[in-house]
Amino acid sequence: MISKELDRAGFPVALISAMYPVAEQIGASRIVKAVAIPHPCGDPSLPAEMDRALRREIVTSALKALETEVETTTLFAPKMAVSS
Amino acid sequence: MVLEMAEFPVTGIQPGAKIVYEAGTLRVDRQEIVDSILQETRIEAAWLEIVAPGDHARITGIRDVVEPRVKVSGAGQVFPGVLGAVEPVGDGRTHRLSGMAVFVTAEYEGTVRAGLAVQRHAILDMWGAGAEASRYSRLHGLVVNLRLAKGLSELQAHTIIQRAAYETAKKLAETTIGQEPRHVETFALGGADPALPKVFLIQGCLTDSHNPHTGVSYYNLPIRDSLATLIHPNEFFDGVFSVNATRCVGYFPITWDWQNHPLVLGLYREHRKRLNFAGVILERIRYETFHGKEVVAQHTANMASQLGADAALIAWVGSGNAFVDVMLTVRACERRNINTVLVTYEYGGKDGIDSPLLFYVPEANAVASTGSRDRWIELPPAEKLIGPYEEIQILSYPGAPLASARGALTLDARDMIVGGVDNWGQENWICNAY
Repeated sequence: MISKELDRAGFPVALISAMYPVAEQIGASRIVKAVAIPHPCGDPSLPAEMDRALRREIVTSALKALETEVETTTLFAPKMAVSS
Repeated sequence: MVLEMAEFPVTGIQPGAKIVYEAGTLRVDRQEIVDSILQETRIEAAWLEIVAPGDHARITGIRDVVEPRVKVSGAGQVFPGVLGAVEPVGDGRTHRLSGMAVFVTAEYEGTVRAGLAVQRHAILDMWGAGAEASRYSRLHGLVVNLRLAKGLSELQAHTIIQRAAYETAKKLAETTIGQEPRHVETFALGGADPALPKVFLIQGCLTDSHNPHTGVSYYNLPIRDSLATLIHPNEFFDGVFSVNATRCVGYFPITWDWQNHPLVLGLYREHRKRLNFAGVILERIRYETFHGKEVVAQHTANMASQLGADAALIAWVGSGNAFVDVMLTVRACERRNINTVLVTYEYGGKDGIDSPLLFYVPEANAVASTGSRDRWIELPPAEKLIGPYEEIQILSYPGAPLASARGALTLDARDMIVGGVDNWGQENWICNAY
């Protein structure tokens, strides 16, 4: 809801969300898939180096999303698959 | 598995020289119960009070509500894994004192100061608007008040409070042993009529993997991250489900609700009449990734499909993102041609103009609302205050202002009232259109 108000005020917004289908339903403009509800921008269970790379990937994706013109709700998916 | 539930209705509780059930009246030797509770040395004091529906009394600090039951035949005992050995229950005969409950109260501030595991102030009014909001206000109550030793951890406090409540409840029910019940209801699956649809209850169950108590336990085994599992509905009646006894939040069903699950009872009462009740699937919900939510939804629907489900009631426990798991389960079932009815409370905000649900899928085409958990409620001053707190916090953040527990209270949601949220449709609500 905050992201929609920022959009309305003319600020570009990228919403990083683990519950991205909920964000889609609300109608956020740029949605970036996050890892998990308690740790959206990283994964503390990973070794530090992998977590650092994952955090960089998510933040970079979010910055790219901010630079992207969108017409409608658009989902951006950082590369974050780790097999467990 | 055949369970006979023998009912002994309670129409009044009176103090007495010993514990006796006679002609609907339960006489209670309060000293005997207090002495038994005080065998636990970490309880510094215990005192009992009696409340009846309509009393102008407000109870504070409620931690759990328990219906007195005892098994008189069949394997095991009520609350297996908590009070006794883990033995398979749900068979034989169980006695219940209906129309009453043990309300256990305790002052406990906890060690967790913020977030979902923070302590709340659970209250119950036995009269007026507060009573109309809660199913428990219709029960005669034996209120067991505990003063705990200082410095207990969440799990220590939980264990002590729960044991006092469960042991007291069982002790009260034991007075009916050897007596003739007013009524016996028999619960057995099977004997399916092939012309009728095969129906399951899918019980979504929010548990926390990160809090000291997960919220719900099965035979006293905490439910953490797990896939769906099939359970027999008779197990509910003998108390295999237990809850966190340090917290009592309106949208988390407590022991009495699991013992008297209205959807289990409703499906049983329609068994071989309108439907074939085939069992209960317990689905752990509140996975922290969307991936986890999708996996458990698919797995639960697969299990129902392999068991031959034609239809399912889907109910849940809790609040927040766990509802996403529930909606995905509805969709996964519908895509396997299992007809679903979702049973849920609504939000809507204090003025009723916000979104009623957190998340929707188009496949959720049949939803039974159990009313709103939001909306203002005004509670008048209480003539009598029971329980540990003279002052309470309406909001649960650290340092929130204190209000007189005895005075008039204005609440902007129902979750502070024990039984103020009707998760499973226990009540008959009427919706007025404006």
